[in-house]
This record gives sequence, C-alpha cells and structure tokens, in this order.
Amino acid sequence: MTTTISREQWGSRFGYLMAVIGAMVGAGNIWRMPYVTGENGGGAFLIAYFTLLYLIAVPGLMGETSLGRYTRQGLLGTFRKVYGNNRMVGLGLVILIFNVVLMSYYSSVVGWSVYYAYHALIGTFTQTDFDTAALWQAFSANKPLNVGMHTLAMLMVTGILLFGIKGGIERLAKWMMPILTIALIAIAIRGLTLPGAIAGLEFAFSPNWDYLVRGETWLAALGQALFSTGLGWGIALTYGSYLGRNDDIPLGGGIFTAVGNTSFGLLAIFAVFPIVFAFGISPSSGPELAFVALANAFGSMSAGYIWALLFFMGFFFANLTTAIAITEVGVTTYKEERQLPRGKAVLTICGIIWLLGIPSALNANILGYLDFVLGNWGLPLATFLIMVTIGWKFDAKRLRIMSLNRGADLYVSSIWEAVVRYQIPAIMLAIMAYFLYSNLSQTPWKTVSGLIVLTLMIPLCMWFMSRRHDTDSTNTFVEGRRS
Amino acid sequence: MSFSAVIVMIVSIAALWGVATITLVHSMRQEGRKLSLLQEQGNFEPFSPAAQHDIEEWLARNPEGEKAREMRELLELQNQARRNNSRHFYHWANS
Repeated sequence: MTTTISREQWGSRFGYLMAVIGAMVGAGNIWRMPYVTGENGGGAFLIAYFTLLYLIAVPGLMGETSLGRYTRQGLLGTFRKVYGNNRMVGLGLVILIFNVVLMSYYSSVVGWSVYYAYHALIGTFTQTDFDTAALWQAFSANKPLNVGMHTLAMLMVTGILLFGIKGGIERLAKWMMPILTIALIAIAIRGLTLPGAIAGLEFAFSPNWDYLVRGETWLAALGQALFSTGLGWGIALTYGSYLGRNDDIPLGGGIFTAVGNTSFGLLAIFAVFPIVFAFGISPSSGPELAFVALANAFGSMSAGYIWALLFFMGFFFANLTTAIAITEVGVTTYKEERQLPRGKAVLTICGIIWLLGIPSALNANILGYLDFVLGNWGLPLATFLIMVTIGWKFDAKRLRIMSLNRGADLYVSSIWEAVVRYQIPAIMLAIMAYFLYSNLSQTPWKTVSGLIVLTLMIPLCMWFMSRRHDTDSTNTFVEGRRS
Repeated sequence: MSFSAVIVMIVSIAALWGVATITLVHSMRQEGRKLSLLQEQGNFEPFSPAAQHDIEEWLARNPEGEKAREMRELLELQNQARRNNSRHFYHWANS
C-alpha cells in the first residue's frame, strides 16, 4: 500500500470544489473569453471549445488530480515517487520554476485588480467626465505604484496561505466564488436591460459555421481550453494531494472543474458584451477592455458605483484565488522538500516570487516577454511532461484503476488511458511546434531567446536534482558511519 | 437577436451552467452519502463493481511484483469493506 503521509486535507467537498474552481477562474475567463468567442465565429467557436474541453481538459485534469491524490505530495515529491530519486525529478523542478515565474508576473495583474477595486470602492469611475484611459496610462507609467501594488498583492497571498489549506485557501474560496458568481449575474442582468445590449449577445453567440473548418478557430479554442483550466501546471496535482483517499475525482476534479471554469467564461460574456455594445465600445480583450472600456461604461450607467464595485471586486477575487493556487504549488513542494513548517515555506516562496516579480511590475515589456515565452511553450511543455509522466512512466492504466476510480462518483473506462498517453502529449507537441512556426518570422529574437532558455532549463534542472541526490546520498553515508 | 444565436446561447447555458450545477449537486449528495456511511459503520467499499473488476483483471495479468502487491492490498481492502459492512456505497446487483 502507498505510504500515507499525515497531511492536511480539505475540510469539505464544497470547499475543495470552490477552491479548485477559484484556482482555474482568473483574468482570462473575464477579459479574454468573451472577445475570443466573438472573434472566432461565436457559436462555431463554442462548439470547438466544448469538444476540446471534453476531449482534453476533462481527462487531463482527472489524471493530474488523481496522481496528486495517489502520491499525496507536491510536484517534486510526486516526480520522485514516480521516477525514483534521480535526475528525472528535475522535470518536476522545471514545472515548479514555470509556476514561480508565472506567479511573478501574475502578481502584477492581481495588483492591477486591487488598484481598480480600490478606485471602484472610492467611486472614482462615477465622477463627472472622468477619463478612464488617462487613469490607466498614469497607473501604467507610475513604476513605484506598480511595485507597491505587486507588493500588496503578494502580501495578501502570503497572509491567506499562512492560514493553510483549510483555514486559508478553502475558507476564502467558499466565500469568494459564490460572491463572484452573484456579482457577474447581477452585472449581466443590468447589462441586458440596457438599450442595444442584445447586439453584444448576437456578436458572441451568432454562429458563423465557416469558422468551424478554420484551423485558427480550433487553435484559439485549444488555447482557451488549456490555459483557462490550468491543465498540467501542477495546480490540480497539488490540490488533489490534499484530497481524502476515498474522495471522488472524475466528477469533481474533472468534469466540474473544467465545465464550471468555462461557465464563468460564459457568464463573463453575458456580463461584459451587452455593456460593451450598449455603450458603442469596440469589442476588445485584456487590460484595455476591463480597465478602460468597462470602467468608462460603469461610470456612465445609473447606479454605476455599484456595478463598478461588483465587477472590479469580482475581478479581484477571480485573480486572487488563482494567484493563491499558483503560489501553493511552490509552497507545498518547498515545505516537503525542506521539511519546514508551513509558515516558513510560505514566507520563503512568497518572498522569492515578490523579488522575481519586481522587474515585471516595473516594466510591462518584461511581463509581456515572460507571458509570451510561458504561454507559447512553457505551459504546454509543463502539460506535456505531466501527461507523459502519468501516461507512460506511472502507467495510465494503473493510475486509473488505483486512484482515479477510487471513491469515484463516475466510472472512468479504459478509453481515458489512450487520451492521456497519446492524444494530450501529441496535441501539446503540435501546439508548441505551431507557436514556433507562427512566431519565428514575426518575433524572431523573442522566440529564439525564449526557446534557448527553455531548452537549457531541462538539462540544468536534471543536473541540479542529480547533484542534490548525490549530496544527500553522501551525507546519509557519512552520518551512517558516524553513528 | 437571430434564431441561431438564441439556440447557441441556450445550448451553451445548458452545456455549461446546467452540467456544472448538476455535477455540483450530485457530487455534494454523494459526499453526504459517504459521510453518513462513515458515521454509521466506519467505512465503505472504495471501488464500484466495474472498478473492482478492473483490479481483478489487472491482477490476473500481472500477478507478481511490488505493483501487484499494492493492487492486491487494495482488493483486500475492498473485499473486507464489502464483507464487513451491511450498507454499501455502490450498487451491487447480487448483494
């Protein structure tokens, strides 16, 4: 039987489900999905998206969560358990580094949402003739303020993680996710009552079937399905490691997580696009949409203070719960590797992320570069490594029998094994190759430099873990001789 | 709003919020059943009939080694839980 390590567990089923949904629902659901849907054929995009969600995200999340539940360890502990104590554990270190780097710049995004939630609270957007574009430009140019917001975001993440899995992450998610849902529903209802709002829904949902045969539509759907669910980044693995032995995974950790996450994207379509079209704003995505266009629209609406507050608080909640999850991957792993009390691990990892995040807070180009490299190759590579580990090294069949179907509310058949072994790794390789092909001519320097760093990282991490293993073995031998 | 857009919208709501709500409610109910079994009899069988069949089939193909030992322990855990408990979590046709 697998060695059972005494460790904290989720306090309730609802708490786990809200925490895992909170981890996946982030900025991308709110400021990206509505635009991507409308731009890629509306209904046609949604069909492509649903197909990929069920073919890739759902089975992938099932695998990652069940591996975490089986090993009951963080990233490095899991890789050590699967590969043995050797240099292959370095592959887990690669994924861990991706998480830390991802969080180093995502913390700036959390900082932006804190800043805008504050302005919504003090009623900035409802001031007469307030210029939201000027506010965004002034904020973007103010480097000390950006570092301050990044620092504040990391202090919040640190404070919550210090309370642990049950007392911190779970307690927070149990409140924040229902509040986010209610906030988006309320904004959607208000938006739909505005004159001209229906055009927004027409833009998002009107099916343009020509798009269904275009490769770009499927690629956009694949990108959204992968990046929105956070498949293969170690988050589902880490959260799964805190599940009980007989807790269900296929229904909660797989279907609910993937579908529930996308449901927030759908809700964002209802909340964002009616307002965008009612105010004659050009549909867009990213910070411009949230911090300029929508902030401006809220200011012009009756009772705009409430709608702005609901939106920006909800947006902040979505970002914060994601930031907590990304950071927890590092915290759990570091705590186990160094056998430290949780508090020390939280302070160390959050301190490292804070330090690494300062360049991104100071310079938007650095943030953009890191997002470019991680989004195009880093995160698909992480997903590839985890899926190959599950499918081939651990053996997908064994994992399905021993962990995935244990305590399951839904029986998962052997078809799942082929999906994890062949389908997801092949798609990951294809997506990385496509991004390389499409970016090489447009941004050669960024592409080549990013790929060099990523290519070097794998052997470096493997060498580091191999050296660490040798050092540990020597120390054990010396201590053995002394005693 | 065009008829096709309305259909896509309704199908999307059903496929996402509908499925998410049903899975959430079902998952919470199943958890409630598990908790009630734990309080009443201390444990329950961890595998469904189909999942148990998978274990038995795997053991028939791989009877030796460390992995087989681990799998056999799971099967024993399952059999004990089925023997010792009057109420089961999964539906067993012949129990």
